Order: sequence, then structure tokens, then C-alpha cells
Amino acid sequence: MVDDVKSLEEIARQIRADVVTTIHQAGDGHLGPALSITDILVALYFATMRIDPRNPSWPDRDRFVLSKGHGCVALYAVLARRGFFSSELLPTLRTLGSPLQGHPDVNKTLGVDATSGSLGHGLSIGLGMAMAARLQSREYSVFVLTGDGELEEGIVWEAAMSARTLDAGKLIAIVDFNHFQSSYPLERNKGLLPILPKWQAFGWHCQEIDGHSIGHILEAIRIAQRESRAPSLILAHTVKGKGVPFMEGDNSWHKRVPTTAELNEALAALGESG
Amino acid sequence: MDMQASTRVAVTEGLIELAAADPRVVLVCMDSATVLKAGPFAEAFPDRFFDVGLAEQHAVAFASGLASCGMMPWVASFAGFITMRACEQVRTFVAYPHLNVKLVGANGGIAGGEREGVTHQFTEDLGILRTMPGMTIVVPADANQVREAVLTVGRIPGPAYIRIGSGRDPVVFSRGEPFEIGKIRVLERHGDDVALFAYGYMLQRTMEAARALGTIGVMATVVEVHTLKPLDVDGIADVLRRTKAAVTVEDHNIIGALGSAIAEVIAEHAPAALARIGVRDVFAESGVAGPLLDKYHMGVDDIVEAARLVVEKKRRQ
Repeated sequence: MVDDVKSLEEIARQIRADVVTTIHQAGDGHLGPALSITDILVALYFATMRIDPRNPSWPDRDRFVLSKGHGCVALYAVLARRGFFSSELLPTLRTLGSPLQGHPDVNKTLGVDATSGSLGHGLSIGLGMAMAARLQSREYSVFVLTGDGELEEGIVWEAAMSARTLDAGKLIAIVDFNHFQSSYPLERNKGLLPILPKWQAFGWHCQEIDGHSIGHILEAIRIAQRESRAPSLILAHTVKGKGVPFMEGDNSWHKRVPTTAELNEALAALGESG
Repeated sequence: MDMQASTRVAVTEGLIELAAADPRVVLVCMDSATVLKAGPFAEAFPDRFFDVGLAEQHAVAFASGLASCGMMPWVASFAGFITMRACEQVRTFVAYPHLNVKLVGANGGIAGGEREGVTHQFTEDLGILRTMPGMTIVVPADANQVREAVLTVGRIPGPAYIRIGSGRDPVVFSRGEPFEIGKIRVLERHGDDVALFAYGYMLQRTMEAARALGTIGVMATVVEVHTLKPLDVDGIADVLRRTKAAVTVEDHNIIGALGSAIAEVIAEHAPAALARIGVRDVFAESGVAGPLLDKYHMGVDDIVEAARLVVEKKRRQ
């Protein structure tokens, strides 16, 4: 566990460099959606979750479901730096025979707790994991990271109802509110906004934070973990492409591969020398 | 005249027996527990019973999460609500990660949904699931076999689907019939003129047809194919090599399930003349089960005529 915010921010900077480098080397992958969740993943994997990279199937470990599976390059980079597998695997992303699939595969990648990628499913899966903990008298927490656009999926609201009914206090959802879905701004969907009152109406414990402030993320998680009955939702305001100025808020980077020149510019912005 | 016993009650009885011996067993319903007669399970194991409301997609993904943490969830509802409304959840979050989720689909076939009409009659479920890698698919014949199937499926790891009927299901076999997944059973061997392949309650009509065929000199072999996946290709091919003529009998679209499976074996392993009895790629309607099956060409007479013609065809070839 890393317990000071400065060190966690340094890890997040390295992860971002891993992400842009990996997507450049692999020639494919979702860049913007990975950069917006990097700080959240670092806060979870380096300072919150009870996990053991030497024993990835430890039954009492905290669980993590990347409901927005397309952000997986950031997850892969985090798992590698956390010691689940070698960073040398990262450039094999999305290539034949690689354990690093285009979207997370629970059976191929050590440290991945759930297959995901088809949007909307993380909360339902996470709720099942939380109920398994209850039935087995285990104490683990279940973290689900969803996109904002994927809240348009109907199954999300089925899970929202069900989690409250089942008093799933161990279920903690974090919404990556980066204001863009695949091809247009979230604001186009007037029915989805505002997001937080909807979850409050479903009976969830709700918080709203800066999703790039690791201190805020950690504090919100601590508060959520004190909830014993209501499931928790943390609405994390983020920026798509965060950390690389020329990518920030530019949705063309949703799934665009940086050229060598763009990679170098991105790494320089991230403070990586040559 | 015919004896009846509910396949739905049989599922619950099997699950209670299974759950008593295996703490991993949980039941997930979607406001489906009452119609599926699952109340006794909920009473016996209140902590291991989840009713998530009318939310089939959620229920299947929820079960995926339970199974990924070591539980053995059984998801029970109507066949189409599981295999069609929650089709993607079954495919991507159960079959793909090969999780130990068991699915029970009621109202299989038009007789399964009989008077409810097309919205509740499912003739696509088996065809859909056959295309999913690693899925075990079984269709027990009657209540007694359903109970055996539940106990057997509970002993094998990985995803599985058990298709059941209306709850007013004919008794085909006596209690304690063996149920070996992945193996056909030759039930009657009057002769090798034609093989009649069937599953589920249609076996009763098929055996009746075999007796009627005997009176006109056509000697049939009746084969139960209760496991559509993994298919007993060798067993089926052996029968086909003897008979060189086959009729498939099922309450499902003739596209996708047993009719297609036998056609595939014929095409790849054992040439034979084939006729398919089933729903002829149409939507049916409300009606009492027996007359409904008759109207949609699944009567004993239809089986007899199809068998007679397929034997003629074989002899011409």
C-alpha cells in the first residue's frame, strides 16, 4: 500500500505514460477513456484494495469490475505496475495470443475479476459478487467503475433498484463522469442529466468529487466503506484524455492511436524524458 | 387419461435436494418464483433465494457475479426471457467466462406456453443457445427426469440450460430413469426402417407414432436426445448408419435445435433421408396443448406420415 498522495500521483503519471506508449506500440486501444480513469484506478489498486498479486484468486480479496471495459489499457498498466504480470506484456495488447484482450477477460488476464466490455453490466456483476461475500461471511468490498455514457443502458437501473433492495452496503460504484460517450457529448442526452439525483432517488449513498484528486477519491472511498446498508455511488468529475493537454476534452482521442510525434509530445507533457 | 406431473415442481424438488447437500447452490428469480412453484425453496433456504424483480438481464449478470465468487446460482424464469431478453448476458457474462451458472427455462415450446400465446411460447431458445461455446443444453422428458437432470447438471461445472414446460406435463418415464448428460438413449427398437429422434414431452407422441408405424409395417427405432449440447454425434451416427432414414420430433422451430443438429450429423457423418417435425418457422397462437401441437403439425399422424415418406425416399435412393 502507498499511503501518501504525492507518491500516488507519481504512480498515476507513470501509468499515463504506460497507457499512451502501449496504445502507440500496439497500434490500437481506447486512449481518452483510459486517461480519465487513471487516478481512480491508482487510488483503488495502490491505496485501497486488499489484494495480493502473488495470490490473484485469494477468496477474501476486494473485487474490482471495470464496467467501462474499453478503458482497460489503464487497468492493464495498473495491474502490471502492481505486480500481477510483467509490463513487457503491455505492447502485446490486442494481438494474437496475448493475455491482454481488447476488453477485459477474466480467464486470460491475472488480476482481472470480471469479463467486461459490453456496457452496462458491471453493477449487476458486482452486486452478485457482494451477495456471494454475504453468503460466505466474507468482508471484501466490491468496486465497480462505470462510464457516464453507459448509464444510458437499461440494465444499470435494474441493478440500481436491486442493489438498494438487497442492502448492498459493500457495493461501491464510481462513475467516470468525463462528459463524453463514444461519439458525442453526454450533455446531448438531456434525460440522463443531472446524474446524482437519480441515484439518490434509488436510495444510494451518493457523493460528488473531483475524479483527478487522489486525496478526494480516497476520502470518498473511506466514507463509502462506512456505509453498511445502502450501496454507494461516487460521481467523479473527470476529463477525457486527462494528463495530456492536447488530448484533454478532445473526443477524437476516444479511440485514436498517437503517431510517434504525438507520443513524444504526450510523454514530454507527462514529464517523461525521451 | 394421461398422467401429468409438473416439471416446475420437479425443478424445485431437485434444487432443494441439491441445495441441502451443496452450500454453493442459490436460486435467482425475477418475480418468477410463484409461477415456477419455487416457493418451497425460498422457505427452505431464505438466505439463498434472490428475487431481483422483473429484471432478466440484471438477473443473469447478477448470477455471473455470484458464480465468479464461487457460488452456483440457478436462474429460473420463462425460456425466452432468459435466452432472448438476457441473451447477451448469457453469452458474454456466463458462457464466455464459462461460469457455473445454471439456467432453467420454462414454457419451452408452443405446448409449454400453450394458452398464453406467442409472447410466452418459446420455440427459439435451444437454437440460440446451441451457438454458444461451452453451454450444456438438456431437455428432460418429464417431471421425474427433470429432477434427475437438476441433480446431474448440479454435479457438472460450467454453464448449463435446462428446458422445462408448462407445469402440466405428461409423464413419460417412471421415477428414477437414468440421466446421463451427452448420451442418447435408444428407448424402443422395433426395427431399423427409420430412426425417430425426439426430446421432451414429444417423446410420448413419438413412441405412440412408433407403435402406429409398426401396424403398417414400418419398424422404427425411438431415440431420446435429451442433451442437445454436447451432442452425442457418435451415438447418433451409429443409429443413422443402421436406419439411413430419420425423423426429428420436437416442439421448437425446425430451424436451430434437434432438426438442425441431426441434419448436421447426417451431412457430415452418416448420410440419411431426413424429415423434421416441429414448428415450421411460424408463430403459433393460444390454445390447449394437445390440439395446439396437432394444429401445428406435431401430431402423431404427422410423425407417422413423415416417417412413412422418409422410408419411401430411402428406398428410392
